[in-house]
Amino acid sequence: MYPYHFLTYKFSFQDIAPSVDSILEFLQSSGCEEDHPVRIIIKKTLCELQSYQDISGGYIIKPIDSLMLKDGIIKVENKDLIVGKQICGYLKKASHLALFVCTAGDIFTKITTGYNANGDYLEAFVVDAIGSLTVEKAMDNIQEDLAILSEINNLRISNRYSPGYCNWELSGQRRLFSLIGENPINICLTDSCLMNPIKSVSGIIGIGEDIKKKAYGCVICNNSECIYRKILTKR
Amino acid sequence: MNPILEKIFECVEFGKINLAANFPPQMKGQPGADEYTKEALDSGITPSDIMNEALIPAMNKVGQKFTENKIFVPQMLLSAKAMNAAMEHLKPFFKSGEVKRKGTFILGTVFGDLHDIGKNLVGMMVEGAGWEVIDLGIDVKTEKFVETLQQHPNAIVGISALLTTTMVNMEPVIKAIKEMSPATKVIVGGAPLSQEFASSIGADGYGKDPQASIQWLDSVVA
Repeated sequence: MYPYHFLTYKFSFQDIAPSVDSILEFLQSSGCEEDHPVRIIIKKTLCELQSYQDISGGYIIKPIDSLMLKDGIIKVENKDLIVGKQICGYLKKASHLALFVCTAGDIFTKITTGYNANGDYLEAFVVDAIGSLTVEKAMDNIQEDLAILSEINNLRISNRYSPGYCNWELSGQRRLFSLIGENPINICLTDSCLMNPIKSVSGIIGIGEDIKKKAYGCVICNNSECIYRKILTKR
Repeated sequence: MNPILEKIFECVEFGKINLAANFPPQMKGQPGADEYTKEALDSGITPSDIMNEALIPAMNKVGQKFTENKIFVPQMLLSAKAMNAAMEHLKPFFKSGEVKRKGTFILGTVFGDLHDIGKNLVGMMVEGAGWEVIDLGIDVKTEKFVETLQQHPNAIVGISALLTTTMVNMEPVIKAIKEMSPATKVIVGGAPLSQEFASSIGADGYGKDPQASIQWLDSVVA
């Protein structure tokens, strides 16, 4: 059915570069003039990254041993993934989990560090946003591929859920990474559960016959102080 | 208000850096904060008046607009750029002591945490509010905060964290600061924090956003 080893995907920046409009929207600057500084920085950065290749990600699929909805725990390979009741609820019909990691590499951190050192905070902010959108777009592609693979087997997939969101504690990264094992992507965790490179994402996707994609994002998250919720509220 | 100071105020509020800048479109081809500040100094306006009557009120307005969701981070950063263009002309007067700052603010992201956007925003806005800002960067160890405070004993310390796993690192930093200098005030901020958490770890202040941080800092020296 599924490959039970870590399936790796590689992308060039050209393959998955976010559009100028999507970056402007993320930066709440949609509709700005052609010569607006933000638009100019975006275009310059997209141009500079054209030949960048170091974007990679993937997943490993593991069967779910059991799911304890009341405790918010999914047991995989006899290890408890304490994802919380909310995510557990969304994944209660899953038979397998795809444990994923994906990174846009360290180029974004290098560029923003340079800008910050010169006090060019606007430039750094824009490049940071492009990095975030790039890794999410790479992961969108991987998730789409998983959905196609699942459909062949008459299975469906859930949304993706990550430590630090939807009441899944960020410290849950440790257990997630221990279940993924050695990943060819070479993303590592710091003591404070930050991923290195910084522009990386990790998490789980549920797979099952009857699983459905639910309302996503801020609608289902209780973190009232999250910056992304603030952006949506402002819209 | 003096018309040149009004122009400086307007340039900072709307992010008009200099003559060459095309933004904002309605000010295209006009001088910016850079040129107007030079003109103000040349015409005999004191650096203190430029600071207190134009730059600080302009940045205050920018911070207020951000708090009220009327502008977003990019616009705030453009205003900060314009302010910095003006500040370049004032630097010699800060050094000579002709322009007095409200105080010194030592700022850093706590050890274990590599996030800097929020910290940078606070640093820029606090500087625009008339403070000297010493930015220690990200992943700042306790010893670095203490060592910098020893060099600037009257400073106020600001600590930032973006993660639930790193906000707990603030407590030992505050403890070390208070052990060395019990009178030193410490303010904390960052997305996962709350007033309750700030109080529980011994912080004197909690900065919900840049403007709240400035208001708290100003209240400490009032």
